[in-house]
Amino acid sequence: MITRREFNRLAALTAATAVANARAQQAPAPAANVPVGDGITWDKAPCRFCGTGCHVRVGVKNGRVVAIEGDQLADVNKGLLCVKGYHVGLALYGKDRLTQPLLRRNGVLEPISWEEAIETIAQRIMAAPEKFAIYGSGQWTIPEGYAANKFIKGGLSNNHIDPNARLCMASAVTGYLSVFGVDEPAGCYDDLDKCDVLIMWGNNMAEMHPVLFSRVIDRRTKGEKVTLIDVGTRRTRTSEFCDHYIEFKPHSDLAIMNGIAHLLIEKGGMNAEFVARFCNFRKAPKDPAATPTAPLMGDAMTFDEYRAALSPYTPEQVEKLSGVPASTIKMLADLFANKDLRITSTWCMGFNQHSRGTNANRLCHGIHLLSGHFGRPGDAPTSLTGQPSASGTAREVGTLCHFLPGGRMILNAEHRKESERLWNLPEGRIHPKIGHHTMLMWEKFCTSADKGGDIQTLWVQVTNPGQSLPNLNKVFKPKAALPDKFLIVSEVYRTATTELADLVLPSSMWVEKNGMYGNSERRTQQWFRMVKPPGEARDDCWQMLAVARRLHDLGHLGMKDKDGKFLFTFKNDKGEEVPVWEWPRYYEINVDKSLFEEYRAFTRYKHKDLAPYNEYVKARGLRWPVVQQSDGTWRETKFRFSEFDDPYVKKGAKIQFYHSTTKDDKAQIWFAPAEKAAEEPDVEFPFWLCTGRVLEHWHTGTMTRRIPQLHAAMPHAYVEMHPEDARGKGFANGETIVVKTRRGDLKLPVWYDGRGHPPRGTIFIPFFDERMLCNELTLGDIDPISKEPDYKKCAATVMRAAVNP
Amino acid sequence: MSATVSRRGFFTALGHPFHPTQRRSQSVPALKGGAPGPGDRCESGAPSQDRDGLAGNSASALTAIIQGRFCFALTSFCSVCTERCPVPGAMKKERGLPMVVPDVCTGCGICQEVCPAPRNAVLMMTRRTAPAPVPV
Ligand code: SF4
Ligand code: SF4
Ligand code: SF4
Repeated sequence: MITRREFNRLAALTAATAVANARAQQAPAPAANVPVGDGITWDKAPCRFCGTGCHVRVGVKNGRVVAIEGDQLADVNKGLLCVKGYHVGLALYGKDRLTQPLLRRNGVLEPISWEEAIETIAQRIMAAPEKFAIYGSGQWTIPEGYAANKFIKGGLSNNHIDPNARLCMASAVTGYLSVFGVDEPAGCYDDLDKCDVLIMWGNNMAEMHPVLFSRVIDRRTKGEKVTLIDVGTRRTRTSEFCDHYIEFKPHSDLAIMNGIAHLLIEKGGMNAEFVARFCNFRKAPKDPAATPTAPLMGDAMTFDEYRAALSPYTPEQVEKLSGVPASTIKMLADLFANKDLRITSTWCMGFNQHSRGTNANRLCHGIHLLSGHFGRPGDAPTSLTGQPSASGTAREVGTLCHFLPGGRMILNAEHRKESERLWNLPEGRIHPKIGHHTMLMWEKFCTSADKGGDIQTLWVQVTNPGQSLPNLNKVFKPKAALPDKFLIVSEVYRTATTELADLVLPSSMWVEKNGMYGNSERRTQQWFRMVKPPGEARDDCWQMLAVARRLHDLGHLGMKDKDGKFLFTFKNDKGEEVPVWEWPRYYEINVDKSLFEEYRAFTRYKHKDLAPYNEYVKARGLRWPVVQQSDGTWRETKFRFSEFDDPYVKKGAKIQFYHSTTKDDKAQIWFAPAEKAAEEPDVEFPFWLCTGRVLEHWHTGTMTRRIPQLHAAMPHAYVEMHPEDARGKGFANGETIVVKTRRGDLKLPVWYDGRGHPPRGTIFIPFFDERMLCNELTLGDIDPISKEPDYKKCAATVMRAAVNP
Repeated sequence: MSATVSRRGFFTALGHPFHPTQRRSQSVPALKGGAPGPGDRCESGAPSQDRDGLAGNSASALTAIIQGRFCFALTSFCSVCTERCPVPGAMKKERGLPMVVPDVCTGCGICQEVCPAPRNAVLMMTRRTAPAPVPV
């Protein structure tokens, strides 16, 4: 048995080698040269943490993960990892892994058997299938999400399934859909290697996508010139590396982008040829409720109308709205006007967790299209995802309440029919009404049945809503006082969510199971199980299949297809059916492969073609569309919609938006006005409160806080303030203070001159710490189109904590 | 007036979130379980008792040195040691890498304790000359 001390030593040695190599740009030292002892077997996997999607090599000895190193063969990270990635192996070995199913009896979680657990869930669903909901995750593997989606939509005729990606990527989705008619970026990470200018919009890449940022910084080290611009509301670690740090008043990003568009038109920076050939103009529809797709389609507008709508956004006016000097707005517009430059824009939660998030996304695409900075390597507007499979599982598999797999919509009768055909279901099985989106689902779950709370049983997998939902006192905590509501949580550790769970299911994680992820750049990745899960922990996907089978046996007709076969029937090589719902037989075949091959049939409709499973076994991920060549090989696509790379673009078209919402192969340039935030600072609550992440911790910290090195480096949450604001209040650095909003209050230490540097009038709290839940403070008003909540803006006040409370 | 926390006290606290005094107070609620406690930190770091013994001892025999080849600062953006060093001016950045100013460093060891690199990038060395007085 390898001790944790040895683990550190081994991981350290391999990691140090990788760092040294990456920096020296030398050929990697073969693993065999690393003195890590005999008997270690190595395999590849994507990192468990962020949406960057680095690949790691995982060293296993005696059934345990004992070493991690960056994978030199991976395009994404070329051997490098960030501080979280180097320690990812330890995420498996926190002392308090959940190893038994637990049922709450008289307020206490007590061990029960798996049979009892599965039976309990099946009985709850049988009693009221329409009042059951699944809350999933962008950390679900692709097959897990696909199985859950098929189970609930195709089996239970119920669309109440939504992932936590609603809280992070929904506005990017509505942005892409309404601009290009199809989700996900046209470009990829290669743009970062080619751009002359990188604009990060409210995007702290150095902390949130560190390996990606290092790709850019590396270019500088090599002597290349690349101009970095940080447009944000708080000075971050990223700002330190930037040529320009442009600070704006929260929520005024819309005004800035309108200001750039206005100048492009008025000063001749617009690429008229590009716009005439490839773009239309759109605005918000007069009647958003006219048709289900009206908010995404919008109403047509002429160029003259568009130009007139932008006319108020003069640089001087934008300066007034945003606090950004008029000369800086002009500087940005001049960059976009320069056709010789290659400009890449990236964004993440700054645009998406925004009560006008869809519009923020649209306007950013708009300035790229208007100036023609699109469709060449290095010229791209690209959103980055936070979760490792927000794209692969949530967006592509369509585990949202209004989607079906492969970009299809619940509200479209043709799409339902097509899905029923692919799933071999009787016609009409899929319910035509969309389900509850995340915020609504939790509100309904936290409201008693007699007051309209129509969700009674909720199953959470691979996420921690008890910490990550906004305004927890409204959408999570009330559950405690509603005894007829039943919360099921599949987890690996105790969390803020299991605190209120009625049934806790111990899960396998990461390399304890087979899996597939899809990262920010359309890259689908695969890995195999390398170690066994602890105790009685079992795969999330197995849990779903076991419940489905139990329902089948109890006589739920939805669990059968139109030929009377169980929905999840899998065969081995000999053509014999394998009862994978029996855990000892689950790994007799590769269930992931069976599910993935079934799912592939869905992906071609929106030209998101995936290759056969075995191609991903060989590769360090492939970017879709992956199209088979005449010689039988499979080719990935780096730059979508561009003739030189995308096989689906017509010859001679140069650029073709082949899923255009207007069906004329054109993209849409949207107009959207600058608007006020839902809650702005006032006399009583004079500060803007922003929340976010830190480099060392991954989201709610349930994994990273159990890794000693990461924990020591970032031990607890804090509130960042401008030193003058803090001194004005008489707060010493490190003093525990109270932060209060209209929704709650929280005690935590103040930190100034620390990690980030908010301007005067703004405070910032990271959300990783379960002991200091900043989401008791957040407002979470949602974008009307994407239904994604805003975590970045609400009004707060600060005060001295009583000395002896 | 509320109790103010000295700069050093704050940074020490950041390094010791589960210090017994903090555990007793309600400002940091108890863990739901699992996260490491004081005796449970990164094995490569100095044991906390030693660290406490050194903290604030301006006549410490030790000083920190950053071993650049193990440091994350340039490759994937770490800044923990410079953020948490309690002595103003004891650390500076040179071309992105943290550097210790030996004349100012008190040898308190916080930087070593918090360094998250797989192979700790901070080495505590016996100093050859006595340290300069600690600036206030
Ligand atoms: S950048 Fe993201 S994917 Fe890469 S090692 Fe770090 S956490 Fe893992
Ligand atoms: S040992 Fe020196 S450099 Fe390190 S934290 Fe203490 S004073 Fe700062
Ligand atoms: S804490 Fe360690 S890895 Fe991080 S910057 Fe300092 S020496 Fe480098």
